[in-house]
Amino acid sequence: MTKIQRIADYLADTDNLPKVYAAVVCIIAVIGLCTVPFLTYHDDQLYPKSLNPDSSLNPYDRGGVPFTEPAQIVAQYPENSPAIGYVTAYLTPASWFLANTTLYLGTTIVGHPGGILDEILYYTRGLDTIVEASIFFAAFAVASFLYRRSRQ
Amino acid sequence: MFEQILLTLPFGDIVHYLSGYTVVLFAFAAMFVILAVISLPEKPVDIVFGTDGYYTKEIPVDLMKFQRFMAIACGIATIGAITTGDVFNFTLFAAFIGILNIGIVAAVKNKHVLDAAFSYGLVVMMATVPLFAGAAIIAATCGTLSIWELAGTGPAPLVARLLILVGVLGEGMAPFYIGKAEITRAPGAPYILMIHVSSLLLFLRVVEILLTV
Repeated sequence: MTKIQRIADYLADTDNLPKVYAAVVCIIAVIGLCTVPFLTYHDDQLYPKSLNPDSSLNPYDRGGVPFTEPAQIVAQYPENSPAIGYVTAYLTPASWFLANTTLYLGTTIVGHPGGILDEILYYTRGLDTIVEASIFFAAFAVASFLYRRSRQ
Repeated sequence: MFEQILLTLPFGDIVHYLSGYTVVLFAFAAMFVILAVISLPEKPVDIVFGTDGYYTKEIPVDLMKFQRFMAIACGIATIGAITTGDVFNFTLFAAFIGILNIGIVAAVKNKHVLDAAFSYGLVVMMATVPLFAGAAIIAATCGTLSIWELAGTGPAPLVARLLILVGVLGEGMAPFYIGKAEITRAPGAPYILMIHVSSLLLFLRVVEILLTV
């Protein structure tokens, strides 16, 4: 076999597909790691994160009073989010208790019901959250269909 | 490329839009979604060689319904990937398409199909790493994820675009036609076709994004 025949023979086997793809990803990752020194961090980030270790809502402490005084949240297109900032400061009684007793409420943003309603996650970039949940639902739909059929 | 925007649909910071280019892709995807909604699956006929005998492959109703659901969802995810105006949102839709492509063939009882689908599943899982890494590098180096804004800030780093390209290749299985040829041996034609359509349209869309950002 010539060299090109051998390569084509290797690629024709479906089992080798993940290996080939993993090798390609590794090559590009190595190139990427080599170019990291040339990448410059853009200081003017659209979604800035301010760390304030003294606040129990760290790093989601954006100020504001719920429903009366909007918090400071930067949006790419503010005209598309007219009610931005009114909800972020709201805490449920359970969250209020946690925020007043511990310093780590901000680390449990999804860990308990009624955590901080981060408006970047749920309002300005809400469609991302919807698509993420849809990916999970699709994966669960496949798994549950196969599981139920295997029991029949 | 952005002078000829026909329609915008804002979801907060994520603005979906149709340009003169993507409206063609949108029409194509919508056509196949409608086809998946209204059509019944094909029944492949195998002729027994050398005789008059033949047999048809029946597709169970529950499998047909499941494949149809997955195919329609895949078409809608493809429309989302085509119309989105946000890099991270695009990567999410690409990952969504990868999962749904596996879902379309996951329930087919055929060893060759499932073997190929398993290999493809591994590729899809690996592809999420470069895909989201590329989006993260774009966010860090350009400060924004909106394609409109990125079009004005100068080119994104080459490595970020390369990572997104490789990620989409894995999700859409674009160059791995050997895997696809095995997968499309599964019966159920209009639904199986959605695997081809989604990866083709995803690839056409990522070319536009990579030339713009």
